[in-house]
Amino acid sequence: MSQNLRIALTKGRLQDKSVALFEAMGLDCSPIQKPGRRLVHTLPNYPLEAVLAKAPDVITYVEHGVCDLGIVGKDTILEQGRSFYEVLDLGFGRCRFALAVREGSDFYDTYKTRRIASKYPNVTRVFFERKGMDVDIIKIEGSVELAPILGLADGIVDIVETGATLRENGLVPIEEVAQVSARLIVNTASMKLHKTQIEDFIGRCEAELEKRRNQA
Amino acid sequence: MKYSINTPEGTRDRLFAECHDRRSAQAALTDLFLRRGYAEVSTPEVEFYDLFLQSGNPVPQEAMLKIIDRSGKIMVMRPDCTAPIARVAATKLKGLPLPQRLYYTETVFRSDGEHRGGSSEIAQCGVELIGGAGKRADLEMIAMAVDALRSCGLARFHIELGHAGFFRSLAARMDMAQSQIEEMRTLIEGKNFAALGDFLEPCRDQPACAALKRLSRLFGGAEVLEEAQALAGENEALSYLKALYETLNGAGYGPYLRFDLGLVHQIDYYTGVVFRGYVEGAGDAVLSGGRYDSLVASFGRPAPATGFAVDVDAVARCRPSAELPGVTMVVHFEDSELDRALAAVDGRSPGTCELSHCAALEDTLALARAKGAKRVLVLEPGRERTVEL
Repeated sequence: MSQNLRIALTKGRLQDKSVALFEAMGLDCSPIQKPGRRLVHTLPNYPLEAVLAKAPDVITYVEHGVCDLGIVGKDTILEQGRSFYEVLDLGFGRCRFALAVREGSDFYDTYKTRRIASKYPNVTRVFFERKGMDVDIIKIEGSVELAPILGLADGIVDIVETGATLRENGLVPIEEVAQVSARLIVNTASMKLHKTQIEDFIGRCEAELEKRRNQA
Repeated sequence: MKYSINTPEGTRDRLFAECHDRRSAQAALTDLFLRRGYAEVSTPEVEFYDLFLQSGNPVPQEAMLKIIDRSGKIMVMRPDCTAPIARVAATKLKGLPLPQRLYYTETVFRSDGEHRGGSSEIAQCGVELIGGAGKRADLEMIAMAVDALRSCGLARFHIELGHAGFFRSLAARMDMAQSQIEEMRTLIEGKNFAALGDFLEPCRDQPACAALKRLSRLFGGAEVLEEAQALAGENEALSYLKALYETLNGAGYGPYLRFDLGLVHQIDYYTGVVFRGYVEGAGDAVLSGGRYDSLVASFGRPAPATGFAVDVDAVARCRPSAELPGVTMVVHFEDSELDRALAAVDGRSPGTCELSHCAALEDTLALARAKGAKRVLVLEPGRERTVEL
């Protein structure tokens, strides 16, 4: 079985870092960087095709097996879950999920049910379920920081990189929910049916990650 | 909004070739099961919720479709066939000698997440060997898993074997809390290569650590058994898998077999060999099964058991779809000629000939053209003629 593997890359920030990783692994990524109108990019020097997709779609494509591999943030994996192999932490795209509240407010010191705004309702639900705490969750699509400012929510669960946006809006992170970074995911059937090819790819990723760790 | 012309999410109407493809895959499977001495059983589509809470049954409660009956009891649309059959084996079949070979062709119901493209109705065809203990029962079941996919006309597939006892024996040698073992099991099941390594780093001096660290990567051909043995030392589960492989290989099944020692799903349910079937063209396992020695006992009759289920539609999608024949002839007849008309239809290959109910020949000709037929057979008292279109 010598057909090409297919990988789905998350568009945007993770895309550039994924491409940088591939280039460092010796893969010629020029077709991805000069995409034109094509949607499926075949790499010239490695049996791999790449497609670019929004993060949740990367998971969908890998889960259904139309892509063998995918690179996607742990944030999306935590929110969407489901069944695939999550083989490697690629180390880039690092940030964290945090619970943030208005500065000076005491989030836990009340018997009232707290209300949390988040773009990630499932992550939020699981976090508070583990604490055995009932909260109201409100899904917000855009700037979540707005919800506590407007008095809609007592806190937010969101991705925090530097914390600057939070501080500017009078919010402070009080608890870490989860660490986030880019992950390499693999379809369960592909892993078994194309073992040699996939192991070769994973091996190259690992070698490069090891090199990066030693440099750091 | 009136929900009268749409089907609920996760369900679908199946038309023509789809029905045919499903039936032909089912026919291939049931034909094999019958030949191997398995007898058909059928259990209710609706069962008590409690039935599926036995012995680490794998279906989570949110995946079950529930109904409250008139007396307030919680019922579910059957999410799995094994538990009902174990109940039957422990109750209705309690007077019969073991082993009992049973097969089923049923639909199971599981609600998938919204907009996932999954189906809530899964057509399964499966077998349970109740009271089958030991190596020969496992051999029979694994050989039948291979033959099941072969009988469906599939060539590029693997049956992958694992053993619930391998992970258990390694975990037992570690100084770990139950919650840590479960966390480790999840990492192995998800093949989180790197995360598993980091998780086990603090335990690196413990005896089974090297093997556990490697466990998510221990899949592939029979060589992984050697590798596992080198890491874990003598191990009962490993020796058993090796013995199974040798016998199956001797019987010609070797090329279809693979191993995944990191197959640690539903570890509370499976008690021995577990297996899954992967086919080129399907994104997930199409066959899944294993040994479950404690389930039947939870219904009051201790009996070892093993079995597997095939996802019939997933298998059917991996085969070329059937070309169904179109109508080539329409029969125009007068009332008095009903017997001849029916004989004409019955005499032709199924699906290629049908009756016209029109009184006027003109209307029959128009109907025949609309159906794409090539000719019309006209039956009048004492004579017949054919009109070519």
